[in-house]
Amino acid sequence: MRLAPVLAVALVAAIARADDEPNPAEQSVSRKDRGEHLAAERVATTRKLDDTSTKHAALALAAYTDSDNVTVFTPSLAASIENILQGASLKGRYIVDVVSAASADIVATASPRWTEVRHAGSLEATYKPHNFGVTIAGSVSTEPDYFSFGVGSEMTLDLFEKNTTLVAGFGYGHDTVGRCGAEGSPANTGPSCTSFGVFSRVVNRTSFNFGWTQLLGPSTVSALVLDVGLENGDQSKPYRYVPMFSSSVAPDVPNGASVAYVTANRVAERPLEQTPLSKRRLSLTGRLAHRFEGSTLKLEERVYVDTWALFASTTDARWIFDAGKRVGIWPHVRFHGQKGVSFWKRAYVSGDAPSWDLPVFRTGDRELGPLWTATGGGGLYFYLGSDANPQKARLSVSIDGIYTSFLDDLYITQRSGLISSVTLEMEL
Amino acid sequence: MKLVFSAVLLALTAACTHVAPYERGKLAHPTMNDAVSAGPAAEHVYAVHEGATGGGSVAESGCGCN
Repeated sequence: MRLAPVLAVALVAAIARADDEPNPAEQSVSRKDRGEHLAAERVATTRKLDDTSTKHAALALAAYTDSDNVTVFTPSLAASIENILQGASLKGRYIVDVVSAASADIVATASPRWTEVRHAGSLEATYKPHNFGVTIAGSVSTEPDYFSFGVGSEMTLDLFEKNTTLVAGFGYGHDTVGRCGAEGSPANTGPSCTSFGVFSRVVNRTSFNFGWTQLLGPSTVSALVLDVGLENGDQSKPYRYVPMFSSSVAPDVPNGASVAYVTANRVAERPLEQTPLSKRRLSLTGRLAHRFEGSTLKLEERVYVDTWALFASTTDARWIFDAGKRVGIWPHVRFHGQKGVSFWKRAYVSGDAPSWDLPVFRTGDRELGPLWTATGGGGLYFYLGSDANPQKARLSVSIDGIYTSFLDDLYITQRSGLISSVTLEMEL
Repeated sequence: MKLVFSAVLLALTAACTHVAPYERGKLAHPTMNDAVSAGPAAEHVYAVHEGATGGGSVAESGCGCN
């Protein structure tokens, strides 16, 4: 690595010596002027030879819409600079989520559609001159009623000529949960938000990960990642009101009971959601990528368990086929299945007024209930660079359909959605 | 869980063959890295729709998204 500048200077000196040969055209140029000219040339050439970094930028636009009247528009911008010779890289990303929702849960509280904007940014710096590397990363996410930041560090060690790579990481996140809109209604943007100084809850998240990447052959690479997470704080949504039923009505509440049914049969008391104040989670993710003659298969399996008794399995597969020198096309499938948390109930039971005797933990977050989700779709990319370097620019388009079946819920039993994205990546 | 982990570990160890640097042409193909994967928006949708997380970056920030 340190040889590069020395070689560059030697090369420049050799060029300079060649330039020092008598040249009739230069006879009229004074020695001082010529010296300055050569010095400037040396600097320019040295800089040019020293700049071994590559710079990338990516612009993406994504849109999501589903049958529960939720739409999300997500533009994002990413940039990176990497110097392979020096083992240093810097990556940054900025993303905006514009969410508009009038879901069944919102309709159930007789509230209008709301729109919210989330801004998120992340920065990651890596220094890995040889077999050992360190990455430090930070991220920030802000919404009118939610502020979060995270910092983390990861160490990487290559072994056996980079046949094996071990990773160990630590992360810390701090979330501040606030509230917007009037009591009894879901989130609203704008000046009606309560300041964090008046109302806020704090959730601290600590995470550890351990990874092992292994080459299994000249065409196959695998990875295992173990994640351990510790979350402390009240994660209950301050807008989510949970309908309660009498003990005689609750057993008869049907799966997917309508808003009208719930309104007619619930008791008057409708408390806010309350989830446990801490969670410990564990996940193990396995990845496999294999390069065939004209295609690449990527498989991923994740199993997840936490102390709220949620157990989940997620399988993801993507098969990318080369369709010529500049085009690739892929089908994508994903399946996620989960068992609900231990305190999940379709119909919670409360006692009579005035004590009500509410269940300690209660939730209306259907992502904590039993469900399965199937995703299918695909995409394609085009290399847009010159014939000499077609990979200098790339345009990717993808579209996936997502179907979720809620197995034990109020209001809805299924949801279908569509997510699409267009990404333009360029080497600068 | 332990059984699955042990089986995967055993399979990986047994399947390992040393790959010399000059044999890694296929491994260096652009599609073998993260170049073709779910974008940040899709990852976010999955994170909100699935009650499970993991396998991502250590420094992710949270959100009040669901």
